[in-house]
Amino acid sequence: MATIPMTPAELDEPKTSLWRDAWYRLVRNKLAIFGLFVIIVLAFAAAFGPYLTPYDFLSQDLDARNAAPSWAHLFGTDDLGRDVFSRVIYGTRTAFVVAIVVTAIAVTIGVALGAMAGFFGGWLDRIIMWLTDVTMSVPNLLLVVVINASLKAPLAAWMEAQYMATLNPFFRETIWVDFILVFGSMALISWPPYARLVRAQVLSIRSRPYITAARALGLTTRIILMRYVVPNAVGPLIVSVSAGLGTAMVLESAFSFLGVGVNPPTPSWGNMISDGLRVWQHYPHLLAAPAAVLGLATVGFSFLGDGLNDALNPRGSK
Amino acid sequence: MQGEPLLKIENLVKHFNVRLGAFGERGATVHALDDVNFEIIEGETLSLVGESGCGKSTTGFTILNLHQATSGKVIYKGENIATFDDKAMRPLRRDLQIVFQDPYSTLNPRMTIGEAVGEPILFHKLCTKAELPDRINRLLTDVGLPPRFAGRYPHELSGGQRQRVAIARALACEPKFIVCDEAISALDVSIQAQIINLLLDLQEKYGLTYLFIAHDLAVVRHISDRVGVMYLGRLAELATREQLFANPLHPYTQALLSAVPEADPVLEKTRQRQVLQGDVPSPLNPPTGCRFHTRCPIAQEVCAQTIPEWRQIEPGHMVACHMVPGGLHA
Repeated sequence: MATIPMTPAELDEPKTSLWRDAWYRLVRNKLAIFGLFVIIVLAFAAAFGPYLTPYDFLSQDLDARNAAPSWAHLFGTDDLGRDVFSRVIYGTRTAFVVAIVVTAIAVTIGVALGAMAGFFGGWLDRIIMWLTDVTMSVPNLLLVVVINASLKAPLAAWMEAQYMATLNPFFRETIWVDFILVFGSMALISWPPYARLVRAQVLSIRSRPYITAARALGLTTRIILMRYVVPNAVGPLIVSVSAGLGTAMVLESAFSFLGVGVNPPTPSWGNMISDGLRVWQHYPHLLAAPAAVLGLATVGFSFLGDGLNDALNPRGSK
Repeated sequence: MQGEPLLKIENLVKHFNVRLGAFGERGATVHALDDVNFEIIEGETLSLVGESGCGKSTTGFTILNLHQATSGKVIYKGENIATFDDKAMRPLRRDLQIVFQDPYSTLNPRMTIGEAVGEPILFHKLCTKAELPDRINRLLTDVGLPPRFAGRYPHELSGGQRQRVAIARALACEPKFIVCDEAISALDVSIQAQIINLLLDLQEKYGLTYLFIAHDLAVVRHISDRVGVMYLGRLAELATREQLFANPLHPYTQALLSAVPEADPVLEKTRQRQVLQGDVPSPLNPPTGCRFHTRCPIAQEVCAQTIPEWRQIEPGHMVACHMVPGGLHA
């Protein structure tokens, strides 16, 4: 019998796992690493920034209103003399909290429903897909505006009533109403793409020949799910989650910009942009600072998402 | 015919229900496999040939219970395994293995070669964890791959190497019987020869029985002990290799064989080609009587009305054709 052609020696290094392979590919992708770097810096700012900023995001210095950027105030001050740099950093925290919580809720709902639809099929599949179609057919902004406009007041009144009844200080924090409504409504519009993605993944993997091959080996359904379906399905999901985090940040800003997101005085990039837009001809830094950081975050997540997409696809060109 | 039958296939039927029309409003049945009878003798290579869609692969899948048979029996060790569920089949999967046409799509892209080959060994508890690397090395060597390939992923291998991995994975279960489902069809001709020789070597070494599903008659002639010819879900003819190639009885077999080119240019010039008219009818609505009668050059009225009997014409030579004279009723 003919001998097997030998491949170059450098290909013979033992490879531990496809994940490590993917990591090597990701590290070689400069844009993805740039994105990852931006995200790490922003995440660090979100986690520890508020403890490190020179000013409290609420402290006002009415003598130094609308000051241009200087060494004392890196991004200047706003119309109440608050340090914009500190506010942008605190806004990073808002953006990250919203993005992570919303994406976590949306992914949980989406994966559960999508996997069920793909795996069981039949009428369950039809109902779930009908639900995603209906949800996706409603304009996102409209839905969120309607939910917030109609529910915020009653919910706040309910919280007030609870406080009066129980005197529990928890109910005085109307910020929770904000967050619950923002999280809830954003998760509501964000889950359908995940459900569709997971369903498509499960459907396509279920009919792959290697699943038949695994059955022919006599493996149990559980092993087939754990070792064959899940590892092959998570790649696209990771990519989609990375891109989804960026999208969630933009959504949060958009809603805050429209006044249906996080309420002042909690700083959010969106309401800072909204405030800045009114005076940008005179004080451009009030618009530029939050907008630039939002842009940077979006670009970071999208570069990382693209890089992950290339890295996790083993057949992708180098 | 010497040797004990390893598997007996009796009146095996496989129909697929499909939905047609833009909205799936019409139900229909694909007659993939109808009333198929044959035995697979221990240690032999039985080939199934026929056009695409004639039910060769369905036969292999249904024997292994990867498709649930609509009716009929597959007798293995005295039991009808066609009615077994997944759980009952599990211990038998060790004995009855399969090598697929496309090795790339049948290997999990997220598992290394070593994991893919080792998985069935551990699952069926054929050795301890400590012995596993040794076992994997031995299997890879058996199929002509260097043991260091164990750490590689399928996408890092060539087509022929992947097919060797697929063979090693099937061998890992220490099977008695392997269905080679178009196992060489997706490979280059030069690689095909290597894989065929490998399969023959392994057969000799481990006493394997093959059901070799193919459409390349030259390959079939080279490796088979017996050959079955299928047409539209039914067996048309089944005979030893010598009988079939020297004395094809069924008009469909004759047409198939006449399509094989001769290597000798002088013979090739005088070769009588018998070109069949028309296309294979749809298995959704197969012809009545003999399924071949719509294209058969010698069809009579009876062929359109009655299904021909599966008859033995001479010892070991079965055929289903009204026009073949004589024969002992099987």
